[in-house]
Amino acid sequence: MWLPFIGLIIGIILGLLTEIRIPEEYSNYLSIAVLAAFDTLFGGIRAYLQNIYDEKVFVSGFFFNIILAASLAFLGVHLGVDLYLAAVFAFGVRLFQNIAVIRRILLTKWSTNKEKLEKR
Amino acid sequence: MDKKKVDISFTFIAAIIGFMIAVQFQSIQKPNERDTRDIWQLREALLKEKEIQSNLLKQIRLTEEKLAAYESKRKQSKEQALRDTLEELKSEAGLTEITGPGISLLIEPVIEDIKIGDYQTNVVSPELLQRLLNELNMYEARNIAIDGQRIINTTVIRDINSETKIDGHTIKNLPVEVKVLVSDQSTAEKLYNRMKVSKARDEFFIESLRLTIGKPESNITIPAYSNPIRIRYMEPAEEGGGS
Repeated sequence: MWLPFIGLIIGIILGLLTEIRIPEEYSNYLSIAVLAAFDTLFGGIRAYLQNIYDEKVFVSGFFFNIILAASLAFLGVHLGVDLYLAAVFAFGVRLFQNIAVIRRILLTKWSTNKEKLEKR
Repeated sequence: MDKKKVDISFTFIAAIIGFMIAVQFQSIQKPNERDTRDIWQLREALLKEKEIQSNLLKQIRLTEEKLAAYESKRKQSKEQALRDTLEELKSEAGLTEITGPGISLLIEPVIEDIKIGDYQTNVVSPELLQRLLNELNMYEARNIAIDGQRIINTTVIRDINSETKIDGHTIKNLPVEVKVLVSDQSTAEKLYNRMKVSKARDEFFIESLRLTIGKPESNITIPAYSNPIRIRYMEPAEEGGGS
C-alpha cells in the first residue's frame, strides 16, 4: 500500500529535478489536468475500497479525463467562454464526494476492527 | 483482485500526478522571485546599467559618424558625378516627372457650333497639334504633355485610321489638356501673352475646337515619358574623338 506514495514522491522529485517550466499561457491546462488526475486517483481509491475496482476503467479514465479537461479548456479559450471553470467545478465536486466516501469507508472499517478487538 | 497489479498501476498514476504537480508548482513559483536588494545594491545595479547605456550611445555616435563620412565621400566621388549626369540626361530626354512654372491649355469642342444631326468629329487633327507644338516651342516651351502624354524629341503625332495618335496613345475624348512647362515664371507670363494673341486659336476654331489658355501657374507637373526610347542609329563616340 505504500508503493503509490513512493511513486508520488518519485514523480515530484523528477519534476523538480528536470526543471521543466511551461509557459504561463498553458499553466491553465496543466492545472486542470492535475485536477482531473486527482479526481481519477481518488475515484480509483474509492473503487478499490468498495471492491468495484477495474484496472482498465482506472487507467483509461485517468488519461481520458486529463485529455478531456485540457481540450475543454482549449475550446473555452477559443470560444471566449471560461469553459475550464466547468471542468474545475465538476472535478472539484467529484473530488469532495470521493474523499467523503473514502473517509466513511475507512471510518467503518476502523470501528469494526475496534469492535472486533473489543469482542476478543 | 491482483494486489500487485493494482499497486503498480496506482504507483504509475501517482508518479505522473507528482510530476505534473511539480511542473505546475515550478511554473507558478518561479516568476515571483523576491527582490531583496537594498538601496545601495540597487544603486550599483543602476550604475551598471547606465554604463551600458552610455557605451551603447557611444557606439551609436561612432556609427553615425562613420555613416556621415561615407556619405560625404560618396558625394565627392566620380560615381556620384556620373549619377548626376545620368539623372540630368534622363530629365532632358523626358524620362523623369518634372514640375515647374508653366501654363495649361484646354482643347474643347465649340458647343455653339454643334448642330443636331451633324457629324461631329471629336478629333483633333495631327496637323493642328503639330502646329500648336511648333508655336509653343517657338515661344520657349521646355516640356510639353498632351493628354498626359509626354512629348519628347522622337514623339510622333499622326493619323492612324482617322484616329489621332501620339506615340501610340489615342486622343479620343475631348477636352484635351495640354501642359506646357517653361524655365521660369516670367517666361510663363510671356508665353501666356503670346498664346493669347496667336493664330493657333483661330486655327482651332476653324475645326470647331476652342483653345482655352489658362493663366500661368507656378506648379505644373508633367509626367515622364512612359515608353522605352529606342535608339537605332546612335552609336557611342570613340574615346579621344576621331572626327
